[in-house]
Amino acid sequence: MRSSNIKETIALQLENGAAYLLALIWMLPLIYAFWSAFHPSEYATRFDLFAPLTLDNFREAWSRAPFARYFLNTFILVSIILCAQFILCTLAAYAFARFEFPGKSLAFGLVLLQLMIMPEVLIVENYVTMSQIGLVDSIVGIGLPYMASAFGIFLLRQTFKTIPKELEEAAKVEGCGPFQILWKVYVPLARPTYVAFGLVSVSYHWNNFLWPLVITNSVTTRPLTVGLAIFGAPESGVDWSIITAGTLLAVAPLLVAFLLFQRQFVQSFMHAGIK
Amino acid sequence: MLTKLKHHAGKWTLAAALGLGMASSASAVDLTMYYPVAVGGPLTKVVDGMVEDFEKANPDINVNAIYAGNYNDARIKALAALQSGEPAQTSVMFSIDIYELIEQGAIVPYDDVVETEEEKAWLNSFYPALMENGKTQGKTWGIPFQRSTIVMYYNKDAFREAGLDPENPPATWDELVEAGKKLTKKNGDTVEQWGAMIPSTGYPYWMFGALAMQNGQTLMNSEGNETYFNAPATIEALQYWQDLGNKHGIMPSGTIEWATLRQNFLEGKTAMMWHSTGNLTAVKNDASFDFGVAMLPAQKRRGTPTGGGNFYIFEKSSPEERKAAIKLIRFLTEPERTAEWSIGTGYLGTGPDAYATPELTQYVKDFPPAAVARDQLEFATAELSTFQNGRVRKLLDDAIQSVLIGDKTPAEALDSAQKQADRLLKNYR
Repeated sequence: MRSSNIKETIALQLENGAAYLLALIWMLPLIYAFWSAFHPSEYATRFDLFAPLTLDNFREAWSRAPFARYFLNTFILVSIILCAQFILCTLAAYAFARFEFPGKSLAFGLVLLQLMIMPEVLIVENYVTMSQIGLVDSIVGIGLPYMASAFGIFLLRQTFKTIPKELEEAAKVEGCGPFQILWKVYVPLARPTYVAFGLVSVSYHWNNFLWPLVITNSVTTRPLTVGLAIFGAPESGVDWSIITAGTLLAVAPLLVAFLLFQRQFVQSFMHAGIK
Repeated sequence: MLTKLKHHAGKWTLAAALGLGMASSASAVDLTMYYPVAVGGPLTKVVDGMVEDFEKANPDINVNAIYAGNYNDARIKALAALQSGEPAQTSVMFSIDIYELIEQGAIVPYDDVVETEEEKAWLNSFYPALMENGKTQGKTWGIPFQRSTIVMYYNKDAFREAGLDPENPPATWDELVEAGKKLTKKNGDTVEQWGAMIPSTGYPYWMFGALAMQNGQTLMNSEGNETYFNAPATIEALQYWQDLGNKHGIMPSGTIEWATLRQNFLEGKTAMMWHSTGNLTAVKNDASFDFGVAMLPAQKRRGTPTGGGNFYIFEKSSPEERKAAIKLIRFLTEPERTAEWSIGTGYLGTGPDAYATPELTQYVKDFPPAAVARDQLEFATAELSTFQNGRVRKLLDDAIQSVLIGDKTPAEALDSAQKQADRLLKNYR
C-alpha cells in the first residue's frame, strides 16, 4: 500500500518535472527575446546579471518602421478573417452535420481535401485570382483565400454532430426554423469550439508571413510580420537586440491576451478536443 | 456580325483616344520596381529617397518602389506578379537567380533594350567580376546593384595581445592556421577566444566558393549547366575547412551560425571572421576595439565569390517601359549614388568611376578597409549559380555541413553531391 503510494508520488513528480522542462524549452526563445530586447546590444549574447537595462531597442525598432499602422493592419486583417470564418464555417458545418442533400459526401470530401494542401503551394494561383478581381495590395485580398477554412468547417461539423438531436427537436416543437435552431441551439453549445478555433485562427494569421508579403505592396496594407522582416538581414546577419525588440512589440498583444484569458483558452481546448 | 464590328470600332476609338491622351501628357510611364533588403537597418528609406530623387529629375516617369522581403521572397513575389499580369517592369533580385529567370522567360537581356552608344558603353562601365553573374549565353541580363564579396575581419587588439603584427594579417592558408593557433585562447577546456570563424549556415556554398577558388578551382561553368563539386581541388578545400576545426582547433568544430557571427566577432569570441563586406558599416559602428579588414588568404591564389543583387528587366513590359526602366537603373547606378550606397552599407561601389567620386575617395582615405573588397575584385569569381539553382545549391550546402559535423568525409559527400547535381543538370547540356 505504502510503497505504491510512494511510487505514485514519484511518478507524479517525474511527470511534473518533465512538464516544467518542456515548458522551459518552449519558453527559452521568449526568455532570450526579453533578455536581448531590454539590454544594450553588447549584451545580446552574453549573460551578465547586472547588465544595464534599456528601452533604446524598442525606441529604435519603433522608429524604423511604421509599427502603429502595421498593428492596425494586422488587427483589421485578423478580425475580418475571423468574422468571415465564423459565418462561413458555421453555415457550412451546419449543412454538413444536419441536412441531407445530393452530393453531400463528395462536397465534404472536397473540403477535407483542402486540409491536405499547404496554402504555400497555391501562392501563385491565389495571386492570379486576387489580381483578376482587383484585390492585390488590399487587406481583404490577404484574407480572402483563408476565409472558407476547411479546418473550421470540419471542427464545427464534428461538434454539431455531438449535440443531441433531441434538443433540435425540442426547439422545433417550440416553433424554431432552421436558422433559429442554429442560432439558439447549436452555436451556444459549440462555444468552446469557437473559442479554440478562434485562437488558432488569430494566431495563425497574426503570424502568417509569406502570403501577405507577396500580395501586399504598401505600408497601408502590410501586416506586422512583413513590416518586421526589414530587420532580418540575410546578407549581413541580424542585429539581435533590435529584432527581438521588434518581435516583442509584434507578439505583445497576443501574449497579453493569452495570459489574461489563459484559463478560458485551456478549457476550450479540452472541450473542443484539439490538443 | 454587327456587334463584332461595333466592338472593333469601340476598340479603335479607345486606342485612338489613348494615343492622343498619351501624346498630350508627354507619355507618362508608370514603373513598378521590387527590391529586397538584404542588409539590416533603415535601408528601405535610402532606396525610397533615391527613387524620389529620380522622380523629381524625371517627372514623366512614376516609380512605385516596393520592398519585397529577402531575395527568396522577392523572387516569389516578382514571379507571382508576372504570372498574373500585374505590372512589374524591373526588380533587384539575387544575382544567382539569373538562370531560373531566363528559363522562366521572365527577363530580357539588356543588349536588346539599350540603343545608343552611350547606353552600350554604360553596360561596360562595371567591374567585370561583378558582371560574371549577370552574363550568360553571350548576353547581359543583370546590372550590379547591391554587390559584395567575402572579406576577413580581424581584431587588431587581439593580434597585438597574441604578439602578431596587426598590420600584417594572414595572407595564406598556412599563415591563417599559424595565426589562428596563437589567437586561440583557452581557459582550461573552454575556449575564450577562437582564432577564426567561417560561417557554415545560411550560405555555406558561398564561403566554400572562396575556399575552392583559393585552391584554384571554380564550382561551375559559365553556362550554368555543369558543376565541379568533386574535383580534387574542391575536395582539398573542404578538407582544409574541416581541418580548421578538427585538426588545428582554431575554429569551433561543427557548424557556425551565419546570423550570430557578427555579434560573436564584436564580443571578441573570435579574433577573425569571414563575412560579407555588406557588414562593414555595421561592424564599424559597433566595434569597441581596433579592427582591420583583409582580403581572404590564398592557397594557390587569392579568391572570393561575389555576391548580392542585380537589376533585371522583365520581359512583360512595353518598349516605353523598358526605356524608362533603363533610365531608372542608370540613375540608381550612377557613380554618385553608388558611392552614397556603398558608404551607407559597405556594399561595393559597382564601377571604377564610383571610387573616383570625391565622396568615396575621401571615405576610402579616412577608412581604408572600405577599399579591401574593391581591391579583392581582381581575384573574384562568380557566385555559385546554375540551372535548378535552389536544388543544386542545397546539394552543396548539405555536403558541406555533413562534413563539418563529421558525418562524412569530404570525398564521399562531394562525390554524392556531384552525382546528384549531374542528374539535375543533364537536361540543360
